[in-house]
Amino acid sequence: MGKREAPAKSEANASVAITVYIPGPLRPFSGGRPQVELKNSPATLRDALDELWKEYPGIRDRVVTEEGRLREHINIFVGKENVRYTGDFATRLGPGAEISILPAVSGG
Amino acid sequence: MKVGDTLGNYHVHAKLGEGGMGAVFRARDEVLHRDVAIKVLSSRTIADKPAKELLLHEARAACALSHPNICMIHQVGETGGELYIVMELIAGKPLSALIGKDGLPVESVLRYGVQIAGALTHSHSRNVIHRDLKSPNVMVTPEGLVKVLDFGLARRIRKEVVPETARTLDSLRATSETTMESTGGLTGTIPYMAPELLKGQQSDQRADIWALGVVLYEAASGKLPFLGQTVLETSGAILHQLPPPLPSWVPNSLWAIVQRCLSKDPQQRYQRAGEVQAALEAVQSASVAGATTTSAPAGPATVVERGMRHISLKDGDVLLLVGTMKGAFLVRSNARRASWEVIGPAFHGQAVYTLAYDGRKGRHRLWASTSSYWGTFLRSSDDFGRTWTNPHQANVKFPAECGVSLKNIWQLCLGREGEPDTMYCGVEPAALFVSHDAGESWALVRGLFDHPHRPRWVPGNGGLCLHTIVLDPVNRERMYIAISSGGVYRTEDGGATWQARNQGIRVRHEPERYPEFGQCVHKLVLHPARPERLFLQHHWGVYRSDDHGDTWQGISNGLPSDFGFAMTTHPRDSECVYLLPIESDEFRCTPEGRLRVYRTRNAGASWEPLARGLPQKGAYETVLRDAMSTDGLNPAGIYFGTRSGELFGSVDEGKSWKLIVGGLPPVVCVKTVVVGAPASSAKIKAEANNLGKKGSSGKKRGKR
Repeated sequence: MGKREAPAKSEANASVAITVYIPGPLRPFSGGRPQVELKNSPATLRDALDELWKEYPGIRDRVVTEEGRLREHINIFVGKENVRYTGDFATRLGPGAEISILPAVSGG
Repeated sequence: MKVGDTLGNYHVHAKLGEGGMGAVFRARDEVLHRDVAIKVLSSRTIADKPAKELLLHEARAACALSHPNICMIHQVGETGGELYIVMELIAGKPLSALIGKDGLPVESVLRYGVQIAGALTHSHSRNVIHRDLKSPNVMVTPEGLVKVLDFGLARRIRKEVVPETARTLDSLRATSETTMESTGGLTGTIPYMAPELLKGQQSDQRADIWALGVVLYEAASGKLPFLGQTVLETSGAILHQLPPPLPSWVPNSLWAIVQRCLSKDPQQRYQRAGEVQAALEAVQSASVAGATTTSAPAGPATVVERGMRHISLKDGDVLLLVGTMKGAFLVRSNARRASWEVIGPAFHGQAVYTLAYDGRKGRHRLWASTSSYWGTFLRSSDDFGRTWTNPHQANVKFPAECGVSLKNIWQLCLGREGEPDTMYCGVEPAALFVSHDAGESWALVRGLFDHPHRPRWVPGNGGLCLHTIVLDPVNRERMYIAISSGGVYRTEDGGATWQARNQGIRVRHEPERYPEFGQCVHKLVLHPARPERLFLQHHWGVYRSDDHGDTWQGISNGLPSDFGFAMTTHPRDSECVYLLPIESDEFRCTPEGRLRVYRTRNAGASWEPLARGLPQKGAYETVLRDAMSTDGLNPAGIYFGTRSGELFGSVDEGKSWKLIVGGLPPVVCVKTVVVGAPASSAKIKAEANNLGKKGSSGKKRGKR
């Protein structure tokens, strides 16, 4: 299923929109979308993920445990930085930040 | 037929309209004093006698439908060479006339969509497929009630108007210059046709689900998702293009449902209209709960994913459920068990630690726990693995205040006879969960989780897991669990309190050789015909208890090793147990490179190797704790799978063995189902009673 085009928006909004890249195994829970744009302007990764869960509730339990911790073999990157080194969920998001959810190479 | 005519009980009052199929009249049923609609099919529509008879046959099937969202057909017949259909008279407008150029409010789309999906759910359950669902066929009353028209009539009529071949893409290509308007009976229908119909392939109820997606799209946007200037353009769009995005005010959750309905591959669509209905209702209830239409409320509780190819099963067939480190396989045979068909894997790449079959209350439901990077989930299938649920939220979860998170689900266990909606699951970190609604929702058994011993349980090699659940078949308050490493615990009050039951089981990993708890129990089995008797494979030794686990006696003499994992009881003989010794803690392979099952027929007083047909040279194998089971038939079939991916079976109670399939991923669990289990269950029960034993062995059905 193809990506849904983002609704029309102003140039100013376009430059600050935050994008989350959804890995293949989670796309059944994002309506097939490989990436989604967050409508609000979350300041931190935690805010961004809260917005993502609200929109796509099937993604949450696959990324974090019931204690709210990032799953052991899942990594989240903001830009090119693994958030485990930038403050975990408190990682600040700049305008136009790109969030990637990816499985680690560990495990088997 | 004309105004003023009388047709049986019906007096024709007025002509309501005329369409491609014929004219529609308003009439009065003079006996029942109600107004009806009579649709008269023109002779152009139905040309010959066989066609008429087929139409009558299908109309009769549609007559059997009774649902508030389906226009009721009262009668079908023939008069003066014309076929007529007497149906419910609906005061309202077609949905197509209500949809403006920008579509309907989302709330209305959901309200009508739920009703249309409800109508399809009802008809599909009675094997009536609409085949021409479109917005002009959906009437909406002034009260907002939807009535879907012309159920089951379309196929035959359409077939007569347009030959089947004329509906395939090739023939459409041949008439590529033809405009929509000039194709007569096709006008207004092609944009709702599923890709498989255009390709001239076999179609089923999923073509209706496609059409529902088109109607939802149209209702939400005012536009058809696939529409060109010519028939060919429209068909090409249906076959090859994705639907353009819906307007931004349509919530993503509704868009996701529409997209799923409009999957080109029928396997990727919702498989049942009831799933679409549930998904729409979930969006609806979330909207009602106060979310704005643009803020994407909660989606459906589960998505349904493609599993493995379809297998046909009949009563008496034997089905092995094989869980591996990389997916689940189904292995089927008939009652003779001479040849086997392997299907799978489902859950590609995911570890499947436990599988179960719930044949209670008329269900045919498979369960699997799947484990991957992305967590552990319980999944179910009501079509023998063809499709599986994939729940949005983890169904088994520790409450937040517990301070632990689920790592794995090791065991599923169905409730006793008389508890048809009860299920248990054992998990890592060691805990027990129970469901009283057939697996819909699960609750932590606090009596065990809050046990004062819990902080002192330590993980075994496979983690701190509750891997075995054994129900007393007679005493509903009594059950046993085994934890590695925590030992055996028993409850006598339905799970409220638990007592360690490990007296006599010797350990070597701490100075106290007979501790109250902390044993590394690998497996625990009970014979339902003699529920006071349990057998146990410990990390160091095989044991038996004849007093509900109060005390244990070692029965390892005669075995090549007292280490091992897998163990199963004979389905009828309570003296008979099978196990598979492993050399030692350090060398977890079959002793001497010989793969041998050992059997006792005197409750552990002596053991005999069963090796005929099994590799006896260089076979350094391991068989895990849940990877052995029996089928309950007579003679009993015994099956086991190895970590090297070989599945062996014996259909003569262990005398001889055959390789059923090799080359699987490492096998974690093997469970056995006899399809149409109540009969086999009753048979086992009768035979157990003939042995003069107390209790029921019915619970063996579908489980180890």
